[in-house]
Amino acid sequence: MNDDYLWDKTGEPDPQIQQLEEILGTFRYQPRPLVLPQKRNYFPLLAIAASLLLALLAGAIWLRVRPHSEAPKQQANIAEPATPKPIETPKSPEVRSASNQPLLAPKRIHKPRSASSVLPAREREEALMAKEQLMIALRLTTEKLHLVHTRTQPNQIKNQHRVG
Amino acid sequence: MYATADMLLTSPQAHAAEQSQEPAIEVVLVKAVLQGDREGFSRLYDRYAPLVHGILLARVPRAEVDDLVQDIFLHAFKKLHTLRDAAAFGPWIAMIARNRAVDFHRRSKEMVEINDDLRGSEQHDSRAAEILELIRSLPEAYRETLVLRLVEGMTGPEIAARTGLTAASVRVNLHRGMKLLRKQLGFMEDL
Repeated sequence: MNDDYLWDKTGEPDPQIQQLEEILGTFRYQPRPLVLPQKRNYFPLLAIAASLLLALLAGAIWLRVRPHSEAPKQQANIAEPATPKPIETPKSPEVRSASNQPLLAPKRIHKPRSASSVLPAREREEALMAKEQLMIALRLTTEKLHLVHTRTQPNQIKNQHRVG
Repeated sequence: MYATADMLLTSPQAHAAEQSQEPAIEVVLVKAVLQGDREGFSRLYDRYAPLVHGILLARVPRAEVDDLVQDIFLHAFKKLHTLRDAAAFGPWIAMIARNRAVDFHRRSKEMVEINDDLRGSEQHDSRAAEILELIRSLPEAYRETLVLRLVEGMTGPEIAARTGLTAASVRVNLHRGMKLLRKQLGFMEDL
């Protein structure tokens, strides 16, 4: 049997196949538009992320640059109390003996040390920074303790009232 | 199963020659879609929707086919980057459609009542539904090829090019499937 018509619709048409095509053609695919999901716009998210990153960078740079510019003021503040202190060490007997024994002198003599004379500038700045941070931390701790205290105080009073 | 043995009957040269035109377009379109051209995917959809429709029609109730076609193409759109060979878009989406049909039947076992209702609505249809049911009762390799040929109106070479089967297998499947269908319909074989 010649099945060219079945194969590629050429040759002599087969009436049975034609009939089947006609009947089954009612189930043929009817074109429908495909609705693809909308493309998500990531620009606002990226913009927010970028601005946050920039803000963080700017903050980091500012923190790094700030101590250098404020360093001279701190130096002046620290230097003042260090210099006027009276030196008591020459009066002590240790120093006298130290003058007789020069080899031991560097170990025993307590020379007055000012921040400007002993520490190099960089280390002094670091020390000052550390001091500042410590002071801030202490202030914060104090404030928190105060807050805790004020919060717990009314409860204690209430409890006392209840007990009373 | 039926197709694999029949694939050996063809020469690779003839198969390549027949399919040489089709993949070139698919490659261009798939690459365009991967670069963000959504219109390219619409063109792929226009080209391959009848194939997917036919594959589904050979396996699942008619009422489900249209929605499944849309689902399959949306899935394909999302997963297109996983397609390694752009020229194999046809076989790839055909495989997705077959797998989706299997999933449908797996799920429908849990919903027997709904499935029965759907089948019932098909049975009271015309003679077309009866013939379609007969085709569905044929072995899988024959039923898909016959639906693509008789329902979707695709020619043998088109079926071969889009499903990735060899022309010889499609030809054999059409011939044997038609022979079985004629028997089922009560037609005389020599007509």
